[in-house]
Amino acid sequence: GVFAHLERLEAQAREVAVKQEKMKQEEEKRARLKARVRELRLQRDKLLAKVRLQKKQLREKRAMSDPAKSGARAVLEWKIKNIKAMLQVSYLTGINGKRTKQGVCFCISTAYESTYLDSYYVHLLVKPEVQIHQHSVPTFIPLEQIAKQYLQTDIGRFLSVLSDHLNAYAGRKYQADQLQEHFSDQIEGTLQRNSLCNLLVFNYKVSSKSKTFPFNARLLYGDLCCSLPTEVNVSCTPDAPASLAEMAAAHSDLFSRVALHKAFRSFSSDEESMD
Amino acid sequence: MDETVAEYIRRTVLKIPRDEIKTMLQKWGLLSETQLQTINFRQIKENISQDVVQLCEENSADIKQAAVLDIIYNHVYPNKRVWSVYQMKKTGEETEFFDLTDFKKKFKRRLRSALKNVTINFREYEDNAIWIRIAWGTPYTKPNQYKPSYVVYHSQTPYVFISASVLKSNLPLLCQALVLASNYHDIREMELRSHSLNSLKDIVFKRYSQNFQTHYPRPLQERNVAPESADLRIIQENKTEKERIERVNREVFGDGPQPKLEFAQYKLETMFKSDPQMDVLDKKEPFRCLVKFSSPHLLESLKSLAPAGMADAPISPLLTCIPQKARNYFKIRERKHFFPGSFVSP
Repeated sequence: GVFAHLERLEAQAREVAVKQEKMKQEEEKRARLKARVRELRLQRDKLLAKVRLQKKQLREKRAMSDPAKSGARAVLEWKIKNIKAMLQVSYLTGINGKRTKQGVCFCISTAYESTYLDSYYVHLLVKPEVQIHQHSVPTFIPLEQIAKQYLQTDIGRFLSVLSDHLNAYAGRKYQADQLQEHFSDQIEGTLQRNSLCNLLVFNYKVSSKSKTFPFNARLLYGDLCCSLPTEVNVSCTPDAPASLAEMAAAHSDLFSRVALHKAFRSFSSDEESMD
Repeated sequence: MDETVAEYIRRTVLKIPRDEIKTMLQKWGLLSETQLQTINFRQIKENISQDVVQLCEENSADIKQAAVLDIIYNHVYPNKRVWSVYQMKKTGEETEFFDLTDFKKKFKRRLRSALKNVTINFREYEDNAIWIRIAWGTPYTKPNQYKPSYVVYHSQTPYVFISASVLKSNLPLLCQALVLASNYHDIREMELRSHSLNSLKDIVFKRYSQNFQTHYPRPLQERNVAPESADLRIIQENKTEKERIERVNREVFGDGPQPKLEFAQYKLETMFKSDPQMDVLDKKEPFRCLVKFSSPHLLESLKSLAPAGMADAPISPLLTCIPQKARNYFKIRERKHFFPGSFVSP
């Protein structure tokens, strides 16, 4: 009876105590976790605030440091533009070069008055000695002669002399082509020319007051570096009147001073003014 | 009009493709426009040629005039003949003025003084090309009009293009006349032959596209390559290698079209290189052999070898040096060095 009852009460008490202990532990745990959650929340808020601040700072920094960055960039761009301009200038002077693995490749551009004409290339090797590796210079230009004279001693002179030859040839050819293209109605028969365009022979006529005057012209360009003739012969038929002979002499003088196509242009304008 | 002249004109007209006959007759200028209008150019060639001969009879054409028609035909169809290139040398350094009349006079005089029976015709063209047609006879026979030699010469250049007839015995005389007329001292045949006259000119006049490095390459638009494949599922596995091959190829061949050559011939006189243990030949003497490359367009095919994957890039310089060295016949002898064929005989 009594012990059993006591035992029972003890057990009950023990159970209650255990329960209470458990509940207390759980309470404590809950409190701890709650605290932890509060702690983490606080940390999160702190970090978020930090991120926001840093972003703001970064933006401000970028806005501030842009002028400094663009400065270096601008200098570089200016340098590139400057070099390009220099290359353009040298290209416009007619001779420009580029270093290659084996030497230098020069490009000689020709022009006559205000028209750009063909470009020619000379690729020079520099070792063991200066020599021409490859080129696109026409065969009738005396390249070997010029090279023999100047290439070993003065490359600059070689290029300038070659450029003179090429430019003069281009100029002579341009004049002859212009003559054939624009004044073919004044040329009788064919215009006799040669590869270098340094000898032109042709028959032409000039008309004024509905009368035509036939002439024969022989232009010799003795200086290969010049685009004007050194010797001009304009003749008319032996039985022509003296006035015609005077005209021939005038034309002869004109051809030795003025470009061929321009001379012919002046004939047509004379004709217009005479009529 | 002579029977032979009539026959010659008839045969020349027969060579011309029917659609071209009228234009060529107009270029010829022997028959007037009214006369040409009487010919029915739609009938068969046999009949056209008969009509032409008839009209030439009326104009009493002579052999020299008939020869002009032959020149015109050959000028339009130069690729029917094989052309060789000859190079002239001069020792003097005076400026040349090249007077055409002077040239013609000297040439004719030289030929006629050696051989009375020759027909010589000259015709000049826009590009400063002078075409010379020579029909050869002997001291006892009239010139054979059916086997003429053709010479194309550009003034003030050292190069002459000759399409000799079968009668090679007249070649020395022809060369001598050329040298004299053009004020040179010597002439030699180059190792360069082809059917395409214009390509030969391109090679020796350096008119073909060479690759020169400059600061101003041609506009980038020209280098545009159409996108390889619109299908994005196809990936180029060895794109870098492909690009390298293209680049190397372009450096060697340039960007433009290649001169047209039909063959390249290499005469090898090199030693046979075999495994010393497998001594094939008892005697150490050069193994003679001839390697000939033929193609309708040799240089273009060489250019496409590497991109097509059939050869490694860069292609052997023995093949790529052809335009620069201006030769397509080579003799390769033994050289002490490792690189074979460096010694290329002139």
